Amino acid sequence: MAFGSEASVGHRGEGAAEAAGETKRRRFAFSPAYLYATPVHLLVLGIIVLPAIFVLWLSFEASSFGQSATFVGFDNYIRVLTDPYFWGSVWNTVLVVAVAVHIELLLGLGLALLFASGLPLQRVMLVVVLAPYAISEVTAVAMWRFLFDPDVGPITLMLRYTGLPTLDWTFIPSHGLILVGLLTIWLHLPFTFIILYAARLAVPKELYEAGRTDGANAFQLFRNITLPLLAPAMLIALLFRYIFAFRLFSEVWLLTQGGPARTTEVVSVYLYQEGFRYNSFGTAAATAWMMVVISLLLATGYVWRLRKESMANAF
Amino acid sequence: MRSRRLAIGAGKMLAVAAIVVWSLFPIGFIVLSSFKPGREIFAVPPELFFEPTFEHYASLWHRWPAFFDGLVNSLVITTGATALAVMASLLAGFAYSRYRGVRFLEGSVMFLIGSRLIPPIVVTLPLFPVVNRLGLNDTHLVLILLYATFFVSLGTLLMRTFIDQVPRELDEAAVLDGARPLTILVKIILPLVAPGMLAVAVFVVVFAWNEFLFAYIFTANHAKTAPLVLSEMISSIDGVDWGVLFAASTVQLLPVLVFVVLMNRFLVAGLTAGATKG
Repeated sequence: MAFGSEASVGHRGEGAAEAAGETKRRRFAFSPAYLYATPVHLLVLGIIVLPAIFVLWLSFEASSFGQSATFVGFDNYIRVLTDPYFWGSVWNTVLVVAVAVHIELLLGLGLALLFASGLPLQRVMLVVVLAPYAISEVTAVAMWRFLFDPDVGPITLMLRYTGLPTLDWTFIPSHGLILVGLLTIWLHLPFTFIILYAARLAVPKELYEAGRTDGANAFQLFRNITLPLLAPAMLIALLFRYIFAFRLFSEVWLLTQGGPARTTEVVSVYLYQEGFRYNSFGTAAATAWMMVVISLLLATGYVWRLRKESMANAF
Repeated sequence: MRSRRLAIGAGKMLAVAAIVVWSLFPIGFIVLSSFKPGREIFAVPPELFFEPTFEHYASLWHRWPAFFDGLVNSLVITTGATALAVMASLLAGFAYSRYRGVRFLEGSVMFLIGSRLIPPIVVTLPLFPVVNRLGLNDTHLVLILLYATFFVSLGTLLMRTFIDQVPRELDEAAVLDGARPLTILVKIILPLVAPGMLAVAVFVVVFAWNEFLFAYIFTANHAKTAPLVLSEMISSIDGVDWGVLFAASTVQLLPVLVFVVLMNRFLVAGLTAGATKG
């Protein structure tokens, strides 16, 4: 391997004997690799990890502006967990995430299969599907707010003209959440689509040819080849989208500010209100740590599923 | 058989139309409307042909000078964050790809992946007082650091994947010629992994140019970004001036949309590699 220092062990998969000898000899030796990795680790440590640990400490303290912190044990957690507004925000988040992310997955899967079967102007169409990725949440809110404006929005007027029900998102909480969900799907479909499309392209053509010679119809090909081979990618896309949709803030904040009367709050908005409007850092920190733990649980669940899956494939 | 093929073709044309409407209608609607004179924005059904006017752009210029300051701030912050994230990721990716078996290094990959699971809003709570005390509130620097940090872990993993694909024989030949590691990185590896650096850059540019939450919490006047000014227009108390909002939205979205269209190959490569590698 390249740089001749003792610490650099060489290519993966070199002889096992050599690797064992290397481990025995290995004591702490300075490697230039530490220098190269330093900037990234300084940033992540200083701006994400240490602050997150500090939030954990904060969650066991009662504190606000100009008031020294005192240890209160699990009080903050109890206060948050007994706050009906918290549970309202949890319920809204779960609802939006569950519905929007799954619809997104279905749409993304449909699009991926459509693209794989060939479309006119394929390259251009790919860019068309990607376009919303470039749009800011703020601009997207401006667009969709106007399209669904209760008085002048063209989609509202069209729905009214055709006698279909309209979205009264300014005062009916569930309608506000539907609009948030629509926005979320619109903004993030490009991501889900690309993951699934890449996975679909990686499926060898021979499998489909073999299936067809065996007399399988289109549905059987989908059921027995496409779906199982795309399952890991679908799981990855779902996991990423769960974790990221769970952070949902801007769309809700810019559309409804969590209103009317805190009925459309999601967990991030609840956290923001506690911390930055009511200056209740303790309860905000407790909410924050519950978010971290749930994100970690989602990820472990995924790793566990993936392990199980590769075990199952081995049989 | 022939009629079936025709039906499939027609179905695909319909699908193409549906995709175009879904993706482009909201964007096109805003851009077109920003050139419509006064009341025509609200015409039902929307008019496709009209006398284009720049009146909304003129009133944007006169009434919202803050928006143009915001654009400059966004440009500065996006450039800074992108440069920082790409450089840091390149260096770390080099370490992970070329130095195997270094203590703590392998384990720190899990640390980087794990850090991505922490929601950004979580760190705003403790950072807010610290940033204030350091006098960094409302500066470009604080947003540059935040935006770069939230993409360096993905960036590092991407750069490692790309550097892994550069044959080690090239490094070894250079070592024999007496080149030092940093020279090898800059002279030999960097030109070959430029597509990877562009992939990382696309992620950071799109994020930094569009981000709302951090800008909302950490800036007030001096470093206010364009999305933040847009959000003020949306929630303006004298009612939304849609024409001006559309003009501002168009100015904000067109550069990054063009960028994504031009860079779509790198974006796709980055998204695919990023999702499978962590």
